Amino acid sequence: MEQIQITLPEQINHSLIKDLQKEIAPYKSKKFEGQSVWLDFSNTKQLDSAVAVFLHRLKEDFKKQNIELRWINTSEEVEKSLKLFSPLARAKFEAKRKNFFETIGELGYNLFNQFVESIFLFSNIGFWAIVSFFKPGMRRKGEIANQGVLIGVNALPIVALIAFLIGFILALQSAAQLRQFGANIYVADLIAIAMVSEMGPLITAILVAGRSGSAITAEIATMKVSEEIDALTVMGVDPIPYLIVPKLYALVITLPLLTVFANIIGILGGAIIGVTYLDISIYPFFKEVFSVLRYKEIITGLVKSLSFSIIILLTATYFGFKVKGGAEGVGRVTTASVVASIFFVIVADSILGLIFYFGEPAF
Amino acid sequence: MSESLIQVQNLVSGYDDQIVLNDISFEVIPGEILVILGTSGCGKTTLLKHLIGLIQPFSGQIKLLGQDLINSNEKELLNLMRQVGVLFQNGALLNSITVAENIAIPLEQHTNLNDRLIEDLVHLKLSLVGLSHAANSLPSELSGGMRKRAALARAIALDPKILFADEPGAGLDPVTASSLDRLLLNLRELLGMTLVVVTHELGSIKRIADRILFLHQGKAVFYGKLSDALKSDIEPVQRFFNA
Repeated sequence: MEQIQITLPEQINHSLIKDLQKEIAPYKSKKFEGQSVWLDFSNTKQLDSAVAVFLHRLKEDFKKQNIELRWINTSEEVEKSLKLFSPLARAKFEAKRKNFFETIGELGYNLFNQFVESIFLFSNIGFWAIVSFFKPGMRRKGEIANQGVLIGVNALPIVALIAFLIGFILALQSAAQLRQFGANIYVADLIAIAMVSEMGPLITAILVAGRSGSAITAEIATMKVSEEIDALTVMGVDPIPYLIVPKLYALVITLPLLTVFANIIGILGGAIIGVTYLDISIYPFFKEVFSVLRYKEIITGLVKSLSFSIIILLTATYFGFKVKGGAEGVGRVTTASVVASIFFVIVADSILGLIFYFGEPAF
Repeated sequence: MSESLIQVQNLVSGYDDQIVLNDISFEVIPGEILVILGTSGCGKTTLLKHLIGLIQPFSGQIKLLGQDLINSNEKELLNLMRQVGVLFQNGALLNSITVAENIAIPLEQHTNLNDRLIEDLVHLKLSLVGLSHAANSLPSELSGGMRKRAALARAIALDPKILFADEPGAGLDPVTASSLDRLLLNLRELLGMTLVVVTHELGSIKRIADRILFLHQGKAVFYGKLSDALKSDIEPVQRFFNA
């Protein structure tokens, strides 16, 4: 058996590993099969953990090629480092890999659990919403008004701006088509129906989900991670009627009001196009608006916004209570809450839209 | 003096106009454990922040591993900091990534090792602190003691010559605090590290201290061996150990 001897430098640390690899790698080939490579540590006084791990791995690799890698003239210090920093000596930790069925099973199990949790939470909120209506002492004093200002009043400027632009753009886009047929006045019909039964409730709900839904999730999640919810519980204060129900009342009251406000502003936005671009006088425009709007459209819009307010509150609360970890957990659930809220609002909008379109209401 | 790993001379420091540390001098020799102690608000953590280059003093000199810390430029400071490890009071692990990824940070940033070696080293350091099973956990999923040990594994990732620990036992129960002390002693033995520990926990001091720097109202009122500190007739020191 032939031997190849490599003498190592006095001090080896992680920065020298690449050079060491370059020097030793050529011997890790079939040409040297059955031979022995000796690493001479006679000059080496110290090596760090990275080098020790590297040498152990190198030894394994050489062994696979049927080449012996031997360490010679190791000092006590070097011997100690090699022994201590052996990756083979440590308790091997291997993350158990899940197979396809385990992954699917776990996903299904988690979804089912989340479903059960959410049903439990929602029924809890529903129960306390009814009970605390008759027992106002269970709620935080003045909280409904406070939340009403935060969710409703403070949202007025942004809702007004967006609703105005939506009405304006809708009218502009439809005017270009309708004027070809001399049907200018129908812009008023289109704007009125689109805003009142569809765009008004939807846009307002999306804005409130992004603005207030996220704030509710972040508030609850922060309270949960800082053990404030636990503190309330041990004081005998149920967090649902104390914290959540006032928000629910505030949302249920303010979202329909905001929607009505958005509808009016949106129709005004459309009226500007009607008056300036289509030469319709203001009086015929609004006469057309009021003649086309039936109870059905108004009720559709209000039922939608009422449903959206409950969806936003339940989604925000669910994600708030679901938080895990610290500050980063709060960020994660807040993002998830907004995405889920908007998703559920749009799904609910489609379902309610279909119900009101095909259903024959009594009014 | 020349063989000292840390030399602090006439250090004066504070915030705005207020002096927090006044004329502090001491040194730390290789392999020893220096415990900086004193009552709350005496300037222990401020002194530690000076030693790891986080804040600048008003005057004085700090030499770390023979290099002047105060007059070092950013690059020199960074190089110096690669040779020291710091265990922060709350662990200071990044919460959004796993324990293993936390420990890999210094290895990825300061070495050119390949992924396989980094993974090996991460698991090696975790096994040294007895946390092999927690590699894939998020810090928020660990208990206080486990978080401290994970932070310790990150602090020793680059085989530091000096390990600074800020209140390692803070917030831990006495049993966990004592096992963390034993771990520090073991690591000192195994890795040949020098330790500077800031604490005010008496049990911990008696277990690990070789030498003591006692701070009182911003001044070093005692600097010497633990055995001498226990016999000291300096009033704040006596009061502390007899409390």
